[in-house]
Order: sequence, then structure tokens, then C-alpha cells
Amino acid sequence: MATNVEQSPFFTERKVLNQVIVKDPPKFDLESYISNYEGRTRLDRLALIGSTSTYLAIDAFRMAIIEVKKGKDTSAYLKMVECLHNILPDDPMGIPDLSWVEQKNRQVKQETERLEHELKAYKNNLIKESIRMGNEDLGQHYYATGDLSNASKAYFRMREHCTSAKHLADMTLRLVFVSIAQKSWMVAQSHLIKVEAQALKGEEKTKLEPIVSACLGLSHMCCNQYRDAAEAFLQTSPAFLSADPAAGIRFQKEVLTGNDVAVYGGLCALASMNRSELQELVLANNDFRNFLELEPHIRRAISLFCGSKYSACLEVLEAYRTDYLLDVHLAPCVREIYGQIRSKSIVQYFIPFSCVTLEEMAKKFQMTGEGMSIEEELIYMINTGVLDARIDLVERLLVSPPTNPRHVAHSSALAMAEKYDHTLRLRLLRLNMLNAALEVRVPKSDGGGLGTSMMGGEIISASLRRLGQMGGF
Amino acid sequence: MADLLSILFSFQPDAPELKSNLEYDRQVRNFLSTLAQVPPNAFIKGADTGQDLLEILNPTVNTIAYLYALLYRIQSYGDHPKSIKSIPDGFRPQGPLWRKLVEFLETFDPVQVRYVGGDWRRVVEYAERVARVVGMPGVAIAPIRSAMIRLDPSTGTFTSTHLLFIRLCLEARAYVAALPILDNYIHSLPSHIPRAVQEQESSLPCADLTNSSDYVTTRSGHTEKITISDVQEYYLLGAMAYLGVRKYKQALHFLEHILVSPAANIASGFMLEAYKKWILVTYLVDGAVLAIPRTANPSAIKQVRAASKAYEALADAFKNMEHRKLHAQVDVGAPIWAEDGNHGLVKELVDHSQRVYVSNLQRTYSAIPVLDVANMLNQTPDQAEAYLQSLIDGRYLNARIGRIASPTEVAVLRFFPDLTQGPLAKTEKQQYIELMEQTERTNLLAEQVKAADYRLSLTKEYLEHLRRQNRKSTPNNAGGEAMDMTWDDGVDQEEDIMADDEPRR
Repeated sequence: MATNVEQSPFFTERKVLNQVIVKDPPKFDLESYISNYEGRTRLDRLALIGSTSTYLAIDAFRMAIIEVKKGKDTSAYLKMVECLHNILPDDPMGIPDLSWVEQKNRQVKQETERLEHELKAYKNNLIKESIRMGNEDLGQHYYATGDLSNASKAYFRMREHCTSAKHLADMTLRLVFVSIAQKSWMVAQSHLIKVEAQALKGEEKTKLEPIVSACLGLSHMCCNQYRDAAEAFLQTSPAFLSADPAAGIRFQKEVLTGNDVAVYGGLCALASMNRSELQELVLANNDFRNFLELEPHIRRAISLFCGSKYSACLEVLEAYRTDYLLDVHLAPCVREIYGQIRSKSIVQYFIPFSCVTLEEMAKKFQMTGEGMSIEEELIYMINTGVLDARIDLVERLLVSPPTNPRHVAHSSALAMAEKYDHTLRLRLLRLNMLNAALEVRVPKSDGGGLGTSMMGGEIISASLRRLGQMGGF
Repeated sequence: MADLLSILFSFQPDAPELKSNLEYDRQVRNFLSTLAQVPPNAFIKGADTGQDLLEILNPTVNTIAYLYALLYRIQSYGDHPKSIKSIPDGFRPQGPLWRKLVEFLETFDPVQVRYVGGDWRRVVEYAERVARVVGMPGVAIAPIRSAMIRLDPSTGTFTSTHLLFIRLCLEARAYVAALPILDNYIHSLPSHIPRAVQEQESSLPCADLTNSSDYVTTRSGHTEKITISDVQEYYLLGAMAYLGVRKYKQALHFLEHILVSPAANIASGFMLEAYKKWILVTYLVDGAVLAIPRTANPSAIKQVRAASKAYEALADAFKNMEHRKLHAQVDVGAPIWAEDGNHGLVKELVDHSQRVYVSNLQRTYSAIPVLDVANMLNQTPDQAEAYLQSLIDGRYLNARIGRIASPTEVAVLRFFPDLTQGPLAKTEKQQYIELMEQTERTNLLAEQVKAADYRLSLTKEYLEHLRRQNRKSTPNNAGGEAMDMTWDDGVDQEEDIMADDEPRR
């Protein structure tokens, strides 16, 4: 069956487009994994798993179709059904239920009209609170039907009708929520900063803070800013796990769970921090410990890295690669994060040595199967400036370059002096020219003047040409 | 004749009564006005006989008299020879008079010549004209160079002679001969020094002046009127001479001097030519593009850049180490390079790209079999080895080629880990000496900057500015005092602060 799935038109097409396909079974159980999530992210996650993992594709899409039929997003339904049909042509669920779609579409249309009509009425009455709520209802409706851009527009219109700080915070959180669903991370970041900037009172603030930092971490990670992401995740207080819904959204269910915070935060920290920072900011961080307890293997990987056992650390991470490729937010950056952790391990490993044989390096850092030999990888790292070392291809060694700070200081002093000297000379000549009133000016008479300047150029280039032919220059 | 001689010998620069600068100055000026009254015929009367003034006078001692005699002799044949026929035999190179001319240029007294700049320049220009007309530009290079150095040992005040000289050098392809002049930084341009200043005892032309800009001025006659294109042409031709001897760094600096010329938002032809060469030369110097000096006029640079797209494309290909693209660009642009006379430079760039590639290997490898390098360069191992050896000999690579025996003998390129070892190594002592030399250069430059500052402070514009500043501050102070009486203390203090600020602006 697995082979059938792999050769289905759906996966063949993905292969042609060179998109990621995961063939190994992941460590998690789909049922229990997905039960941690609610709302749109549940659908998104199922769709990603379905379209990436050949092992879980059918189950994931079946679950997704059942899920989507409970809501009112017909376009998502049609898409899912088509995917399933492409994978397993004779599955009964792969045939779209058109009558349901039509009925839903009609309902949605009526609902939209009703809500817009109501909003119009509120606007005529000029009651701020009603207008705000009308817009909110409309936004929620659009969100449920999958029209995310209209949802964010509707939420945005709430702004001028907000009367209290709480309203404003709620509105911004809703905007954050929509932009995360849209995967427009920069927008999400700017909204998050607005939430942070709002002067909320003590209790409200403590309630929102964990949500904001978790979401900020997520958006940084998706923008490939791992250092910022790690810092945001590490600030997240464990209150996130049990936080009440904010603005009617249960972030720890509908966006990312505590387990996700642990995994994302741990990986980003591994990719961007050095050993002492990892020890201090991650392992010794009492708040973050609560999250790490949810994902013990991340904790183990970090401890191994801090204990200089790099190959063991990489092995642990490698074992979970499949899982992370099936995570909706992590999938696009798994490769980069892993690459960074790996090259950091190599750099850290090499620090105490003055030379290591390439065989030893290859043994310590098992290949990831990305088609590069250890030698090529090291060359790449040296060329990009990540690793400060030289390769001796004759003895097959990795050699650490000797340093001679005294010599370097002298040379750089000399180079700098020369540079300043030259700059000063340029300026002095310019000053002299200005003093002597020498300046390149527009020739006075227009036609003839231009002609002479051009002619000057002609004469010069003619003489230069002659000289060039003579001297080779 | 005897009268004439007594007049000519009447000025003796070594005479004991001429110790004081004022006295010397007065004597020279008297001597010059006496000479002006002597009819020209008197000077050429005894020509080509035993009574020839050029034989009797000593160019080192009687410099002014000798110069007059020489000049009248030249004038008698016409000092603007159009063809080889109008130059008398004596003045052709190797002729007796030519030798006299050269002797004068090499031995004249530098102090006396400060008073007769215009006549001195006519002799120098005649030498240049003769060399050009007889088609041997090279013969005038050495005499003119000695004349320039004798007049001004720093050759740092730009004169029209500088331009004549560099033109001759390029025509004769005598690049090395040009270096002694080119290596001296042009620290000043001839400026207008007010008569009142020049008549002070310490500023008289005969005084012991350290900066040549004090006696080579717009009125001294040593130079024609300088225009901006003269200066730019000098630097462009100078840069080409440096390129000719492969001193790329100096060439680059010369080109930058052109790019920073003051401009009223417009570029000149020289700037365009300079920019084209500049792009190529930056890569030859550093293997990377440098920033255009900040003082350059931005819109002028924009114009020349717009006209140099082909060069920038070439530079891009070089920067990204795309050899095939580079070669394709070179082929496509061949007419452009030929048109601009930059063909040789482009060729050099192509050669250099391979050198940079090999040189960059040392950032990655400490040792690499020659066979591997040969594969990278698409050459046979023998070719590659010879090429690498040539790079090492040419001081492009700090490395050596060794051989190891096991299991079969192979050649190996080993890079020296840093600049303390290997053929390019510098010892600390060498570094120290270089640093000391640099310090000296910087100190000298600081002096030149001071001199430039002094010259600026003599200009009308500066004085005008000073006067305006003074005028501005005086009434304000007065006003502040006047208000003292009427205003209370708090406001008065504020007023005082304002008054203090005023002159600082």
C-alpha cells in the first residue's frame, strides 16, 4: 500500500516539483498528536502531513475531510478531496459531496449578507460598541469560511471603534491570529509589537505576555531569525500552558502547544547560541524547564551539546528529523536549523585541536545523506567563513591556522596609516583645486561647448588608444 | 663687449655683502632691470667665437646672465621651430648648443631662477619642442626632470612643466623615467600670493623657503595658467605610466585624484576615462571593488557610471569568479576595450582572475596536490606546476612546491600559514622600518597641509569671511551690553549665551 501511495499521481507531481517527501514513519501517533490542536491549525497540520508523509497521507486526509466538513470552508474541502483522490483514486471520500458544498455556499452567502446588513444598521445608529462587535462578528465569519484577507480587513476596521485598552488588545491579538494563519510573519510581528506596546494593567499584562512572546518566537523562527526566536521562546512563562483564552482564542490549542514551544525554542537556541549561553539561558532557565519537560529529547540534545558530545547530540536530533519535517511551522526551516547546529558542532569540536584527520571528522560527524562528503562540507564551511581552519589535502588533515597577533597588529596599523594618508592626500588636492578655483563646469555656449568637451574626450581617447596599442596598456 | 661683461658679472650671488635676504633681493632686482636695458644684439655678438658668452659664463654662478644669453641665442633662430629644418644644427640633440642647454638645465642655481621664472620656462619649453620636432621625445626627459628637481626638490607644486614632462615620458614610453616625478605628491597648486606678503623678509623668493608653493606662484612665471583639465590630464597620464610599470596601487591612487576633482555636477572626459580604468584597476589591486572616495561629486560619478556599463559588467563577472562569463564579456566587448585603449588592462584582468583564484586557495587549504590544482584550472599537471612556480616567483603566492615520495612521487603545493614565513615574509624589523617611513611621510604631509592652510588664509574670500564674522559678533556684544541696563538678570544670561555662540558658528 505504501508503495502505491508513493507512486500515486499526487506524490509523483511533488517529486517532479522537487518538494519534500517523507517516507519514514514518524515517532508520533497521528490521532493523539492532532488531538492537541483545534481550529484552523488542525486542518493546516493535517494537510501538511497528508501532502508530505507517504506513510500517513491517507489517514491524514481522511481526518482532514471529516474535520473540514464540520465547518464552512468549502474551498478547503474541495482541495482536500482532490488531494485524496489523487492519492487513492477509489476511495469513496475522494468524491466531492457537491450538494453539501452548494448548500454550505448558500448558507455562507446568506450569513455574510446578514452580518453586513447588521453592520450597516449599527453604523447608521453610530453606536461605537455595536459597530465594533459587528465588525468582529464579520471577521470571525470570514475567518471560519477561510477568507483570511477579508477577515483581517474586518478586524482592522474595529480599530477606530475601540473604546478601552482591552478592546484594542483583543483586536490586535485577533489580527495576530489571522496573520499567523496567513503565514505573513512580518505583519504578525508588527502587530505583536503593538500588543506589547499597549499599556495594559498588571493582571491583563501577565495574562497576555506569555502568548505574545510565544507568537513572537514563532514569527521570528519563520523569518529565519533563530537567535531572536530563541530569546522570545525562552522568555515565555509556563503560564502559557494554562492560559485562559485571550480575545476568544485559545492560543495554546489553536496556534502552538507547549510541546511546540519546547521544540521550537530548543532547536532555535541550539542553532544560534554557544555552549555557555545554552547552559545559562536554556538549561538553567526555570521557566523554560517546564516546557523542556514536555519534550525530554530536546533537553537531552542540549545537554549533550553542552557536554561536548556533538555526535550524540546530532544523532538524537537526526532521529526526530522526520517528525519535524511534518510540523507545519518547522518544516520549511528544519534543514537550515539542522545545518547550523551541525556546522556549529563541527566548529566547537575543532576548537581544542590544532589538527584533526579528515577520517576522524567523518567518523565523528556521520553524513546526513545530503550528497556532500565531509571534505566538501568542510571546504564549504571554510569558504563561507564559518570555520577558521585549513585543509591539508596531502596528509588529509584539518589544520588550525596559526595566529600571530603582533604581526597582524603591525600590518593592520600600516594598512590603516596608508589608507588615511591617501585619503588626506585626496582631500588636500581637492582643497588646493578649490582654492585655485579649478572646477569642472558646464561649457558656456551650449552646442559648441558640448562639442569642445566631447572633442576633448575624443582627442584624449585617440591618444590613449595609440598609447594602449604601443605599451599594451 | 667689455661693458657687457662687467654688467653681466656685476651680480655675484656669493658676494659677502649679500648675506642678508633683503640685500640679495634688492641686488637681483636691480640686476634684472639693468639687463633689460641691454640690447639683444649684444648678447649674440660673440656667438660661435672665442668670445661666446655661453663659454665665458658659468651657468651655476651666473645663472641669470647665462639664461639671458641662452635665451637670446634661441630667439635668434626662432623659438617656435615648426619643422626639423628650422632647428639649427647646434641645437639638435648632440649638437654643441644642445649640450649647453642641457648643461644649464642640470646645473643652474635654483635661487636665482626663482626670479626669472618666465625665462626659465621658455628654455625648458624650447628643449621640449626641439625633442618633439626632431622626433626623439626621449632626449628631453632627463634634462627637464633635472631642471624640475633643481627648481623644486619636492616637485610638489604643480606647473605646466609637469604636464609637458609626463607627455614626453608617455610618448617615449619611458615609464620608469617618469617615476621620480610621479612619486612626489602634488601638495600645492600655484596660487596667488599677495605682494605685501611676498615682500616680507622671510617670504622673499631668495629666502630659505621650505615649501615650493611660496616661490612658484601664479605670478612667478614658472608655470602657465593651470586649468582643471591640465591637472586631470597629468594624473591620467601618470596613472598610465604607473600601469606601464605594473604599479597598480599607485595608478589607482592617481585615478582617484581625478575622480575627486571639484565639479559643478558634471563630469569631464578625463573623469570618464579615469573611471573606466579605475574599475579595472581596483580589481587588480585588491581583487575587490573599493568604494569611490567620498569627496567625489555624486552626480558627476553617476554620469560616468552610466557611460561605463560595459566595464561594470566585466567587473561583476570578475568579482563572482565566473570565468566563462568573464571570457565571454571580454570577447563581446573587444571593440569597446580597443576603442578606449584599455585592451591591455582587460587582458591583465583576465590573467589576474586566475591568479586570484589560485591565491584564494590558501584561505581553504594548507597543502594541496598540484594534480588537484591542475584539475581546477583545466590544465595538465606540468603546465599547472610551471604556472604555480611562476606565481611564486612573481610574488603573488606565499607558497612553495614540494614533492612527497609515497606511494608514487607527486608534486604538492604548500602554502605558508602566515606572513611570518615563506618568500613574502616580512620580519618585524622590516615592518618597523615601514612604519617609521610611514610616520615620516605623514609628518611631511602634515607640514604640507599647514602650508595649504596658510595659503587659504591669504585669500580674499577668507578675509572677507573673517570680516563678516567680526562684524556679526561686534554689534551683538554691544547690544548685549546695552540691554544689561534694562533687562533683568535671567534674560540677560540667556542673551550672553547667544552672544558667545555667535562667533563660533
